[in-house]
Amino acid sequence: MNLVYGLVSAMLVGATPILLAALGGTFTFYAGMFNIAMEGMMLVGAFCAVLGSFFLHSWVLGILCAIGGALVMAGIFVLFAVFLHTDEFLTGIALNLFAVGLTTFLLRDIFHVKGAFTDAGIRAIPALKLPLIDSIPVLGRLLSGYNLVVYVAVAGTLVAAFVIFRTRFGLRLRGAGYNAACLNSSGVQSSAVRIWSLVICGVYCGLAGAYLSLGSVRLFAENMSAGRGWISLAAVILVSGNPWGIGVISLLFGFFDGLTVFLQGSRIPTQFTAMIPYVATLVSLYFYSIRKGKRT
Amino acid sequence: MRKQLLSGVFGVLAALTIGALVLLFQGFNPMATYAALLQYSLFTTSGFTATLTRAVPLILTGLSASIAFASGPVNLGQPGQLIMGALAATLVGLFVHLPSALLVLLCIIASLAGGALWSGLAALLKRLFAMDEFIVTLMLNFVADYFSLWVITYPLFDTSASSPMTRPINMAAWLPDAAGVNESVLFMVLAAAICWLIMTKARSGYEWRMTGQNSLFARIGGCKVDANYVRVMLVTGALAGLAGGLMVMGGPHRFVKGLGANYAWDGIMIAVVANNGISGTFLYGLLFSMLQQGAIGMELVTAVPSEFIDVLQAIIVLVVVAARVSLNVVFGRLATRRKLRETAE
Repeated sequence: MNLVYGLVSAMLVGATPILLAALGGTFTFYAGMFNIAMEGMMLVGAFCAVLGSFFLHSWVLGILCAIGGALVMAGIFVLFAVFLHTDEFLTGIALNLFAVGLTTFLLRDIFHVKGAFTDAGIRAIPALKLPLIDSIPVLGRLLSGYNLVVYVAVAGTLVAAFVIFRTRFGLRLRGAGYNAACLNSSGVQSSAVRIWSLVICGVYCGLAGAYLSLGSVRLFAENMSAGRGWISLAAVILVSGNPWGIGVISLLFGFFDGLTVFLQGSRIPTQFTAMIPYVATLVSLYFYSIRKGKRT
Repeated sequence: MRKQLLSGVFGVLAALTIGALVLLFQGFNPMATYAALLQYSLFTTSGFTATLTRAVPLILTGLSASIAFASGPVNLGQPGQLIMGALAATLVGLFVHLPSALLVLLCIIASLAGGALWSGLAALLKRLFAMDEFIVTLMLNFVADYFSLWVITYPLFDTSASSPMTRPINMAAWLPDAAGVNESVLFMVLAAAICWLIMTKARSGYEWRMTGQNSLFARIGGCKVDANYVRVMLVTGALAGLAGGLMVMGGPHRFVKGLGANYAWDGIMIAVVANNGISGTFLYGLLFSMLQQGAIGMELVTAVPSEFIDVLQAIIVLVVVAARVSLNVVFGRLATRRKLRETAE
C-alpha cells in the first residue's frame, strides 16, 4: 500500500509542472500560435521564484516574481512575434536559448555560483492539507498534503477548460486560431486575442517554474526545466489542446517521471531510467500518429 | 543578398548596443568589455586559432540545421546527432588499430554514420508512422545524452579518471595542429564547401530547396519528395555527427562528460540568424565562435561572467531576424510606392 501512495505522490509531483506549462501552451495553441517558448518561460519563472523568495523572504512574493519573470518573456515574444512579425518558431527557439543564457548569467552575477544555488533563506511553497478530505482514512492520504501548487494546477485545469469552451473570450480565442480573418472582420482584433493568450501562457508557465524551484526542492539549477517545456508542447499537440486530455496525459508523464525516481535504487542504471519520460513521449506520439493515420 | 548584409550588420550593431546597455546597467564598462572580447578572440595568435577551432562544431551543426530548415524537415536533433557521431568516432578510435591516415578517415566515416543513424531513426519513424520529426528529434536528443552518459560511466569508463570519461583514443586518430590551427578546421571548411556546392550548384540541392519552399510544387514538378526527405535527414544528421567526431579527434581526444555542451543549440541559432543560407551560416558561425572565445578573456580582464555571451547571442538572433523582417516590410512599401508613381505618370 505504501508503494501505491508513493507512486501516486510521485506521479502528481511529476505531472504538475508539465500540466501547468501545457495548459499555458494550450491557450496559445487555440489562438493559432506555434508557441514553443514554454521551456524558456518556465526556466525564467523558476529563477525569478528563487530570486523573489530569497531576497523578499516570502514564497508568495516568490511566486509573484516567477509569474512576473515569465510575463517578461511572454512580452518579448509578443514584441517580436506579434508586432515585428518575426517567425514564431524562430522567436521561440531564440527565447528558450535566451532563457538558458540569462539565468546562468544572472546566477553568477547575483548569487556568484556556478551550476546551482541553494540556501536556507529560500522559502519553499508549503504543502496544503485539505480540510475535510484529510480526515478520511485512505482518500485523505492519497489526495491531501501535497504542495499548494499541485492544487492550483488542478484548479487551473478547470479554469482553462471553462475559459476556453464556456466564455466569450474562449470563443474569440478559438476563432483567432480557426479563422483569424473572419474574427478580424467581425470587429475583434485577433492580434489582441493572441497577446492575451500569451499573457495567460506566461502566468501558467511562471507557476510551473515556481513549482520547480520552490516546490519539492528549494534551489535553482542551470537548465533545471530539463525539457519539460518540450514535453508539455508534445502533450498539447498529442491531444490537440483539449485541457482534459492534457490533464490525463500529464498524469501519464508524471507517472513515468515518478517511476524514474522510484527506480533509482534498483539495479537499472539511472541513465536509462532518466530516459523514460522522453521515450514515453515518443511512444505516445507513435500511438497518436497511428490513430490519426487511420482516421484519414 | 545586399539586404541580408544590411539587416545583418544593422542587427548585430543593434544587439551589441543592447548588450552594452545591459552591461552598463550591471555596472560594468561596456567599451572595455568589448575590447577584451576582441583582443582575446582575434588579436592574439592563440586566441585566433582557438576561435577557428571552436567554430568547427558551431558551423557544422549550423550547416546541418540550415540545410534541414531550408529543405523542409524540422530537424532539431543536432545535439543528439553530434553526441552519437562523437561516440561512434570514439569507439573506432579506441578499438581499431590502423595507420594514422586510414584511422582518421575511418573515424570520420564513423562519426558521419553515427549522426546519420540517429537522424535516420527519426526519418524512419516519420516515414513508417508519420511521427512528426520535430518532436521525435527533440526527444532523441535527451535519449542520446543519457545513453552517452551511460556508455562513459559504465562500459567505457576510464578507471583512472574521477569523472565520467573514456580512455584517450589511439594517437593515430588525433588531429594535429598545422601552423597552430587544428586540422579539424580543414575538414570543416571542406564539408562547408561541399554543402555549398550541393545546395547552390547541384540538382539535388535545388530539389531540396524547392521542396522546402513548396512541397506540393516540388512533387508536381517531379521531385521524389519522400526520398529527398530521408536523404536530407541523413545528410544533416551526418553533418552534426561530423561535428562531434571532429571535436573528439581535435580536442580532448576522448569522450568526456558534457562534450557537446551547447554547441549544437548554438548551431541551430546560427542557422536561424543566417536565414538558412550556407555562406551566412559560415559567417555567423565565425562571429559566434569569436564571441564565445572572447568571452573567456573578457571574464579574465573585466569580471563580466562569460555567460553574458549566451545572452548576447540570443539578443543578436532576435534582433537580426526582426531587422530582416522589418527591412523587408520597409523595402516592400518603397517598391509599392515607386510602382504607384510609375503608373500615375
